[in-house]
Amino acid sequence: MDTFSKYLLTGLICLVALGQFVQVVTRYLLQIPVMGLEETMLYPTIWLYILGAVNASREDTHIRANVLEIAIKTERGHTVLAIIGEIISLTVGLWLLSWAWEYTQYAWRVWKESPTLYLPTFYSEVALVAGLGLMMLYTAVHLFRHINALRAGAAK
Amino acid sequence: ADLKMSHVRPQDTTIDKELRAFATQVTEATGGDVSINIFPASALGDYTTVQERISVGAIDMATQPAAAAADRRMQISSFPYLANNWDEARKIYGPDGPVRNVMAELYAKQDITMLAAYPVYFGGIALNTDPVSPGDPSQSNGIKVRVPGIKSFQLTGEALGYIPSPIPFSEAFTAIQTGVVDGVIGSGAEGYYASFRDVTKAYVPANTHFEVWYMIISNGSLAELDAEDQEALKTAAADFEAQRWTVAEEDQGKWEQRLSEELGAKIVDLSDDELSAMAAKVREDVWPVVLEDVGADWGQGILDQIGK
Amino acid sequence: MIEIALLAIAVLVLTLTLGVPLPYCFGAALMIMYFLGDVTMKGMMLWGSQQLGNPVLLAIPLFVLAGTIMSASGIAASLLNFVNAFIGHIRGGLGVVAAVSCAIIGAISGSGLTGIAAIGPLLIPEMEKRGYPREYATALIANSSILGLLIPPSVTMIVYGWVTDTSILACFLATLGPGLLIMFNFSAMNLWMSRKFDLVLDDTPSFSQLAGDVAKKGFNATPALLMPVIILGGIYGGIMTPTEAAALSVIYALPVGFFIYKGLKWNSFLDAGKEAATAVGAIMVMILFSMILSQMFVYEGIPQQMVSAIFEITENKVLLLIFINILLFLVGMVVNDVTAIILIAPLLLPLMQAIGVTPVQFAAIMGVNTAMGGVTPPYASILYLGARIGNVKVTKVIPPAMILILTGYVPVVFLTSLWPDLSLFLPRFFGY
Ligand code: NA
Ligand code: NA
Repeated sequence: MDTFSKYLLTGLICLVALGQFVQVVTRYLLQIPVMGLEETMLYPTIWLYILGAVNASREDTHIRANVLEIAIKTERGHTVLAIIGEIISLTVGLWLLSWAWEYTQYAWRVWKESPTLYLPTFYSEVALVAGLGLMMLYTAVHLFRHINALRAGAAK
Repeated sequence: ADLKMSHVRPQDTTIDKELRAFATQVTEATGGDVSINIFPASALGDYTTVQERISVGAIDMATQPAAAAADRRMQISSFPYLANNWDEARKIYGPDGPVRNVMAELYAKQDITMLAAYPVYFGGIALNTDPVSPGDPSQSNGIKVRVPGIKSFQLTGEALGYIPSPIPFSEAFTAIQTGVVDGVIGSGAEGYYASFRDVTKAYVPANTHFEVWYMIISNGSLAELDAEDQEALKTAAADFEAQRWTVAEEDQGKWEQRLSEELGAKIVDLSDDELSAMAAKVREDVWPVVLEDVGADWGQGILDQIGK
Repeated sequence: MIEIALLAIAVLVLTLTLGVPLPYCFGAALMIMYFLGDVTMKGMMLWGSQQLGNPVLLAIPLFVLAGTIMSASGIAASLLNFVNAFIGHIRGGLGVVAAVSCAIIGAISGSGLTGIAAIGPLLIPEMEKRGYPREYATALIANSSILGLLIPPSVTMIVYGWVTDTSILACFLATLGPGLLIMFNFSAMNLWMSRKFDLVLDDTPSFSQLAGDVAKKGFNATPALLMPVIILGGIYGGIMTPTEAAALSVIYALPVGFFIYKGLKWNSFLDAGKEAATAVGAIMVMILFSMILSQMFVYEGIPQQMVSAIFEITENKVLLLIFINILLFLVGMVVNDVTAIILIAPLLLPLMQAIGVTPVQFAAIMGVNTAMGGVTPPYASILYLGARIGNVKVTKVIPPAMILILTGYVPVVFLTSLWPDLSLFLPRFFGY
């Protein structure tokens, strides 16, 4: 999974860099900008953002301000705090997911197209619901992990 | 009811003032039942997003260009060189004009009611460099111009002899200022004055397209008003449009004059022959492609009504 | 409605304090606006995700990736050696090297983390060997690392320009003056502090030795030194948009890292890509939901209500600026830079314009304050990363860091607010 995500994310980010690079080269050196490149790059860009966020959930490296964690000294305290955090994340995240689902249904129904090449934009729009879904899955995994740690701690 | 209306220009611009006057009129006509809150400068999102949000009923109203993402046929509204002068424009886009009627139908498919058309200007080309044979579309002039990411504008730029470069609007000003490109296609004198005034050294009034905005309202928001208020709103909108048609041409001249007098921009004087040559070239190069995109039969049907 | 908005912000701060990941903190605030304030969520996901599609934002992952590659590849080490050749032998010189190297790295990377990540592992042990206390060395490099956000390119300025519709190039230039001033403050402060350290110094080299060393290390550093030239020259010279320059910096850094400095290996390259993508993903979902919250505020006219509420207290410009700096300092203590800008900039810009502060000067005010937020506890992401890299306890780094913040940042924060020319001189010079 780790290797897979490395290749996937590095591939996406390099693809995006390459797309921008091609735009400079064609405009500046060849004087013939590629039409529709920008709208094509939207797909890897959005998926890069969303899958990057999913990976942050997987690795549990989302940005957080661990203010209270510094004040709490015990291992058990940290685990309880983490459980509270994950429960809030899960509640809020599922609510957001329901709105992302609404958005996806809308995108499916309207089936928008990009302005020059008429590519269906649904394939980038669906990233949000997919990403939030996976993020919730990983959040749930972390929640169970913390609960197990708390149980194991209590059993000792 | 408390309605939110978005538009794309900054506060205190012509359209902003006209819309505020419209809002006041609506409040008076409905005896205070309906108040319209104006959100200038795309504060609620750019026009493509706003149109979608109106379609789902998240925003009530807007006065803005038509966005073709949900229905590519909406491109008919900014079809290049459809109208050649203000009289033709009024016949095509004004009350009961063929394009306006078909746009109302297309909006209806997105749960949106069109209340009025708002003629803005004929489009032109703003340059931050000296024009190179601006009246002759038969050869390339080597000038790189920013075009919006819309196919018909890109093709039009090319047909008129420029090197079109699709750069997002958010980066366009900087791109011209630093010299990544030397001009812009896709707007008109007023638009260039609003967004590109510091980088406009010359203006080519090539009449590339007729810019028309539409005052639209979400069907859901409209349905919440009682019949009387709906009628008052529609009447006010019709007045708003009628008023605009009387001043639009003069307004366009005024903005060209401001470009020239306030900024010292050179306004290129194109002869009728030059304008016809440009129109002919674009019709020949661009129309077949764009017609194909919107559906050749459907598009030709509208062109037939216009007599083109 | 303003009460509901304040409640939403309170919930945001509360969940933040509990250690909930930032995207969900914003989600919790959205829930307050939705359930208690009755603001529609309809179409908000659509709006938010279309904001993410803005190509301007694409510069962020690319500048971050350029920074990550730089730390992995030895590009940073060559810069460090070069700067060291000039002043390494002077008493306190190594500390100055830290500040100046971070500034140069800042001209390549758009993030405040690159400096500490790239030169912390090299310079902290070296400084300790030469007699600087380890926690002081860590604090100094972490503080200097933030110059990455003040010296263009800068992620925070891209975000500021994007949310307030201000020229990003002008914003870049606005923080450059204050950034250089902070670099100067740190250097001066370091020279003064090092009087008390028991330092091991190299013999002062003869002029010819010095010249030879500078020439040799300068030659080595040339491919690295070309990076800022390409990026900033490309942007201000009219060849590329900032996003394209960011892409080019990545494309350029790859062969330089793989074949010239050879520090970049296939695996470290993959790691760099994954790390940058993950960091950016975390930023982007946070941006998504904070933009939605910000849009709800606009939708309900909260910024205008805030301006009138504040004007009822005072309309005195100096007082308001001091008040805003204190507010931003408090915000910076608990929130990260990008978040602070997305939330605060649209709320306060109308107020700033009402008291005659231009959007470009406000960019500098926000830029300096939010950069400082990276090292002010309790939430001091850059300082904590520094502590991890320097392998010292957070509590040990905080005292020297506070001295540097008070002497290096705080004066510049007030200067930036009260002396507009400091931030406006360069943008004006370039015609913005
Ligand atoms: Na930087
Ligand atoms: Na902080």
